[in-house]
Amino acid sequence: MLFQVRPSAPKEADLTTVYDAVVVGSGAAGGMAAHVLTSRGLKVLLLEAGRKLDIESELKSMEWPYDHPRRGEMPSDSHAVTLNEYTVRQPPYAQGSPYKHVYSYVQGWNGSDYSKNIVVDEKDHPYTGTKYAWVRARNLGGKTAIWGRLALRLSDYDFKAKSRDGYGEDWPISYADIAPYYDKVDLYLGIGGHKESLPHLPDSLFQRSPRLNPSEVLLRQSLKKMNRVLTPYRAGVTTDGLKHNKYRSRCYGRGACNRRAGGCDIHAAFDSPTGLIYPAMDTGNLTLRTNSTAYEVTVDPATGKARGVAFVDTETGQHYEAKGKAIIVAASTLESARLLLLSKSKAHPDGIGNSSGQVGHNFCEHVMGPSILGRVKDLVGKPRTLDDGRPGGFYIPRYRNLDDRQPKFIRGYGFEGSGGTGMVPGRASSTPGFGADFKKTVRDEAGAFIHMGGFGEVLSRYESAVSIDPAVKDRWGIPVLRFDYSFGDNEKQMALDMAATGREMFEAAGIEILASDADLLTEGWSIHELGTARMGSDPKTSVLNQFQQSHDVKNLLVVDGSSHVSASCQNPTWTIMALAWRSCDHLADELGRGNL
Amino acid sequence: MKPEDADGLTRRDALKIAAGAALALPALFTRDAMAGPAAFAARAAAPRFLNKEEFALLDELTETIIPTDGHSPGARAAKVAAYIDGRLSEAYLPVEADVQQRWRDGLRRVDALSRQMNGATFLAASPEKRVAVLTRMAANEKDPQTDDEKFFRELKGATVHGYYTSEIGIHQEMQYKGNTLLQEFAGEEPAD
Repeated sequence: MLFQVRPSAPKEADLTTVYDAVVVGSGAAGGMAAHVLTSRGLKVLLLEAGRKLDIESELKSMEWPYDHPRRGEMPSDSHAVTLNEYTVRQPPYAQGSPYKHVYSYVQGWNGSDYSKNIVVDEKDHPYTGTKYAWVRARNLGGKTAIWGRLALRLSDYDFKAKSRDGYGEDWPISYADIAPYYDKVDLYLGIGGHKESLPHLPDSLFQRSPRLNPSEVLLRQSLKKMNRVLTPYRAGVTTDGLKHNKYRSRCYGRGACNRRAGGCDIHAAFDSPTGLIYPAMDTGNLTLRTNSTAYEVTVDPATGKARGVAFVDTETGQHYEAKGKAIIVAASTLESARLLLLSKSKAHPDGIGNSSGQVGHNFCEHVMGPSILGRVKDLVGKPRTLDDGRPGGFYIPRYRNLDDRQPKFIRGYGFEGSGGTGMVPGRASSTPGFGADFKKTVRDEAGAFIHMGGFGEVLSRYESAVSIDPAVKDRWGIPVLRFDYSFGDNEKQMALDMAATGREMFEAAGIEILASDADLLTEGWSIHELGTARMGSDPKTSVLNQFQQSHDVKNLLVVDGSSHVSASCQNPTWTIMALAWRSCDHLADELGRGNL
Repeated sequence: MKPEDADGLTRRDALKIAAGAALALPALFTRDAMAGPAAFAARAAAPRFLNKEEFALLDELTETIIPTDGHSPGARAAKVAAYIDGRLSEAYLPVEADVQQRWRDGLRRVDALSRQMNGATFLAASPEKRVAVLTRMAANEKDPQTDDEKFFRELKGATVHGYYTSEIGIHQEMQYKGNTLLQEFAGEEPAD
C-alpha cells in the first residue's frame, strides 16, 4: 500500500479524570478542535460515535472495476435509497424495506461497495418528519472520509448579507476576523487552486492547481466575455505535499477521484484523521474513544455549567460519562442540534444552550438540481487523452446579486462541473442504438462532453427546523430527529435562473446542449446542512457568540456547521474548520485566563 | 512544472511506490498483466443462474449490442454475459425474484419475436435478421412502452455497464489512461 504511516498507539480513556476539553465528533470540526487544543497543550478527550475503520483498505482507491466481483457495487442484500424514494416518501426510509441494509443515496453513486461501512445503516438510525436525504457518516473522521473536497472561502457578501439585502441576520464576524484562520487552514491542510482575485470568492494560499480540460478552457474563455469566471476546482487536496504531516502524501493525479464517493487512500485529499487527529495524538495530549455515541451534555446542578458528556458504548451497550472543563460539540449540524435538545435539565429545561428557543431552527443548506449537459463538436473523434488525473473539474463562482439586484430572488449560486473523459463513458447507456455504429459513437464522443450543476443558497428561516421526535428511538434507544423543512419560493425562483443562465453560458461558448434540467433535487441532496445553532450578538435570537460559545453556558462550544448564520452558496467545510480554529484558540486563551 | 521533490519525495521514491503497489496488485499498472482474478475467470466458465441455452442467447445479444470491430473486441470477449449471469445469480431473494424472472421472460420474448419475424430462434437466424429483431425491440428506446422494448433497455443497460467496466472496455476500447501515478496533473493551465 502507498504511504501507510500508522498513528501512535491510542491511549485508554480515563473516565475518572476531568479533561480540559471533551470533544464530541471527529469530523472536520471535531478534528480541528482536537488539533488546536492539543497543540496549545490542553488535554483532550475526543468521542466518536462510529468505528475506527482501516480506511485505506476500505476505499481501495485504485481498484479497477473488473477486479471487484460486482464491479464496485454493494451486495444485493443492500439498498441505497433512490431519488424517487426520497421524493415520494417520508422518513424513516428503511421502514418496511425488505433489504438487510438500507443506506442513503450516496451509496447509489456507482453503487459503491467502498463506503458502505462509512455511512450509517438507515435501519439503525431512523428519523422522521418531512422528506430529507440525510447522509451521515459514523466512523473516525465522519464525512471527511467521503467528502467532495471543494474548499471555498466565504466573503463579506456572505457574512454581511443582511446589510446588503435586508434578509435574515448578519454574522457576528466579518471576513477580516476569519481570514487569518482561513490562511492557517490552507497552510496546515493544503489546498490546490488558481488565483482569481474575486471579492466574493477570496483566494486561498494555493498549492498547485488542478488543470482544466479543453472543453473547460473553452468555457472559461467564453465566460470572460460575460464577466463571469470559471476556475479550476479549488480542492482541499495537497498537490505539493505537506512537510509537517507524515500521514499524508501529495496528490499523484491518479485520476478516477470521482469514481466513488470521495475518499483518497493516500490522504492527499484532506480527511480529519490523517490531517488533524493523528498529528494531535502525536502531541501526547489527545485521547480518542470510538464507538462512543453521546446522548446528553451533563450539567453541574450547582453552577448550571456543562460538566461532561453522557455516552453509550455502541459495542457493549454500557453507559458512561466523560468529564471536561469545557465541552465542545462537533457532531455535525443536525446531530449537534439533537444532542443539545436532548440535554434537558432543571437549569436548561428546553435543552442546553437553548434559552433563545433557536436550537434546531434556522436550518439551511444548498439547493441543487438545475444542471446542463453539453457536447463540444470539435472534440468528437479526437485521440484519447488523460482528462481525469486531478481531484476535480471546475467551479463557476456566484454572479448573481453581487452588484445587481435580481427581481425574483435574493442571494446567489455557483456551478460545479467537469468536462472530458473518465474511466467509464457515462453517456454510453443513453447513446441511442446498438451495434458497431453505437460503439463508435460512444468512443468518439467520450471526450467531448461537459457537464455542470448548480449549488444555491437556501435561506435560513426560523420555521425550517428539526426537533426531537416524541416516540421514535434509534437502535441505542436515543430519541431521533423529526424534520420540518422544505424549500421555499426563493429557492425555486433561483433554480429557474440557474437553469436559464446555465444554458446561456453553454450557448455563448458554442457548446451544443444535450440536456438541461430545471427541477430541484430533493431536500438534503447537497449534504451541506447548516445553521441549527446559529451565532449572533443577541442571546435572544442566537445560540452562540462569535466564538461559537453558548450564550447560556460559558464552557459549552458548538464548533460545526450548526453555528453558521446563513448558508452562503459556497461549500462549507473550509469555513467550518477556520471558525473552529478561531474559536478553539479563543477557548484556550479563556481557559488560560481562568475565565470559564 | 514543479520540482519533482516538492514534498520531499524524489521521482525514484515515487517509482518505488508504484512498483510496490504493482507487486501487491499486478493488474494495477500494466495492461499485459491484466488477466483478471482467477475467481472471476472460473465463474465465467459455467452459467450460474441461466441455463446453457439462455446463456448462449444472452451472449449473442450482448455481442450484437457491442460487437467486435476493427478497434477492439466486443462484449463476448469481455465476458459480459457471464457478468450479467453472475449478478442475476446473486439477486437478493425473494425480494429480487422478479428481476430474475424478468430476464428469463425477456430472453424467451426475444426468441418469440425472432420466430415471429424470421421463422427461427434468434441464434438460428442470420446476423442481419438478428439485427432486425433488436431494431424492432429498440424502436422506442427513449420511452419504452411494450415488454419487448422495456427488456431491450434493461439488456442494453446491463451490457453497457458490463462492457465498459471490463478490462477490454476500459483499456482496449476506451484506451483509458488514468488510475496510475502521474508526476503532473492532466489538462491545461488557465492562460491567466
